Amino acid sequence: MEGELIVQTTENKSLMEKLGILSDAAKYDVSCSSSGVGRRGDGTGIGNTLAAGICHSFGADGRCISLLKILFTNECIYDCKYCINRKSNDVPRATFTPDEICELTIQFYRRNYIEGLFLSSGIVYSPTYTMELIYEAVHKLRTLYRFQGYIHVKAIPGADPQLIQRLGLLADRMSVNLELPTAEGLKKLAPNKHRKNILSPMRQIQQGITQNKNELVVYRHAPSFVPAGQSTQMIVGATPESDYQVMMVAENLYKKFDLKRVYYSAFVSVNEDKDLPALPGGPPLLREHRLYQADWLLRFYGFEAQELLSESRPNFNILLDPKADWALRHLEVFPVEINRADYHTILRVPGIGVKSAQRIIRARRSGNLTFDDLKKIGVTLKRALYFITCNGKMMYPTKLEEDYITRNLIDRKEKLPFDKDGMTYRQLSLFDDNSELYWKQAVSG
Amino acid sequence: MEEYYLICEDSLEGIFTGIYDAYLMKKPHNRIHICLGEDDNYRLFAVYQTHPPDEKKAASVARTVIRQFGEETYLAICRALASEKPDKAEAVYKTVAAGLALKDKRDLMGNLSNPYIHRVFELARFTANEAHYHVEFLRFKELENGILYAVIGPKNNVLTFIVPHFADRLPLENFVIHDEIRNIFAMHPAKGEWYLVCGDENRLQAEHAFSEGEKKYSELFTSFFHTIAIKERSNYGLQRNMLPIRYRRYMTEFQEK
Ligand code: SF4
Repeated sequence: MEGELIVQTTENKSLMEKLGILSDAAKYDVSCSSSGVGRRGDGTGIGNTLAAGICHSFGADGRCISLLKILFTNECIYDCKYCINRKSNDVPRATFTPDEICELTIQFYRRNYIEGLFLSSGIVYSPTYTMELIYEAVHKLRTLYRFQGYIHVKAIPGADPQLIQRLGLLADRMSVNLELPTAEGLKKLAPNKHRKNILSPMRQIQQGITQNKNELVVYRHAPSFVPAGQSTQMIVGATPESDYQVMMVAENLYKKFDLKRVYYSAFVSVNEDKDLPALPGGPPLLREHRLYQADWLLRFYGFEAQELLSESRPNFNILLDPKADWALRHLEVFPVEINRADYHTILRVPGIGVKSAQRIIRARRSGNLTFDDLKKIGVTLKRALYFITCNGKMMYPTKLEEDYITRNLIDRKEKLPFDKDGMTYRQLSLFDDNSELYWKQAVSG
Repeated sequence: MEEYYLICEDSLEGIFTGIYDAYLMKKPHNRIHICLGEDDNYRLFAVYQTHPPDEKKAASVARTVIRQFGEETYLAICRALASEKPDKAEAVYKTVAAGLALKDKRDLMGNLSNPYIHRVFELARFTANEAHYHVEFLRFKELENGILYAVIGPKNNVLTFIVPHFADRLPLENFVIHDEIRNIFAMHPAKGEWYLVCGDENRLQAEHAFSEGEKKYSELFTSFFHTIAIKERSNYGLQRNMLPIRYRRYMTEFQEK
């Protein structure tokens, strides 16, 4: 009906239609992790959680499906330019009732489809009103249904801090999206949002967690506040920040806000807008992948952002992963002797991961290790051989020379997230919980 | 020199009994072997003996393993023994023998340069891995009478490793997990303790139709499963890598409606 405004109302929609609209609207949120808290069921309801988290399926994009990821509503009053639900878009709209959310969560959970709920929302009326709706659903799920599985909720910037506090006592994880790496980017693309409003609930949650930890020391049965920690996500490639800027922001979030995870989301162009970049090559997935690799280096390998990048080298190497890239620029510290070097030094060798490094330390107590042993332990010798000695000897006589090694390390079939046997989202989530990394190593060889 | 082959039943009890009897022989371990059936190529100078499972002997080996090597190693050995690979019996036996000769017995599984220990480690990892896949990908369907029913087809005998997980999370549900390869059933009554039943109970599923809700929620989830993928990131190779094809026939979202 040309020229006529079709007002989409939510009342007459079936549960199937609502789920379609509100999961479609939620899919750009990256996190689907159910990790960070191990809790047994108390026998009176339904559910438990595993510290390592569980993926229950993998979608056609290869991403892990762990939680029922939905918006409460997409009837949003804001107009963020990168978002499909922005007010000025003409898209189908819907709103769940708290009961519908409980029903879906419980029925999916019983059948082992999901680990729990990830509830986010567009803004209806006001941030506080929206948070109240979320609170009502989560409260019902926890108390009426006695649901003890995983719950991740978004804290809506600008909502009443009281509400965030109360919700934190019901949720396992909370997240406030940073949206874009810098305040300028935010101002340009999300005119209704303000950096300050995003950082203050983040700070509040951080303080809540710290305080709760202290309480738990004194009263073992004090209710826990966001026990699986806080995460955030930012979109990369919608605004012009460099990798260096992104990593500095991430490092800050880890250090100053104690975040559990920072997620990077390659910008997917869903709206046409003069302020958004055209992305003829699709979302910048390789860039996103490098950022995740670097993120692990910060979290598990003892690296600092400034060691990886600088003002004068602001972006990651396209051909090499950040760890190999770092090693090649620091050939003076190599080769390291596997039977003597300390854990942190071994961890910096390309081809040696956290588990392998731990196994090396453990195994060498009962005798000197050989290259053969390293192979059994799970070291990727093809990559590591340039950087290590075993009992004073290198595996082959080889030149410690940047160009030569670079040529050998560049893997034409590099393991990109969109490659068939690549570094994968499962591994991403496993790194979070590295006890599990191991399980999959057996299959991936 | 004669070599001895102890033929044991393919079970934890059977293989532990074999280990017990191997010790009773008081001969060097390198001349004793434990296997699960007669070798195809009958060896010269080999003595074959059948050792039926014995609860007491098995329990004694289990106690020794736990006491000497710790719970973690015991669990690794149990996992290795759930493996589908026939060389598991020999690997476990030689691992236990090597372990009892060690000074630092608690670190047994750290000795990966011993080929038997490495093999146990590897087999345990395969089982743990497959058990974990089942914790992820197993799907319950609701029968008319409210019972949740799941069918699995694992390569290794993972059933007993996964039931405790579901018993803890679904304490108020009646549920059944059926290993259709071995034809064993784990039964969990609501608020009760779970137990295993072998054999012929498959009438259970056949006699009951699925509930009303089953159709509704399986359709809702299947639709969710399709919507949640971002089409600009389509990557079937990655999906296949993460979710091996062989699990899909048991999974609601991949089943034809
Ligand atoms: S607040 Fe912005 S990002 Fe969130 S749903 Fe509304 S328009 Fe989209």
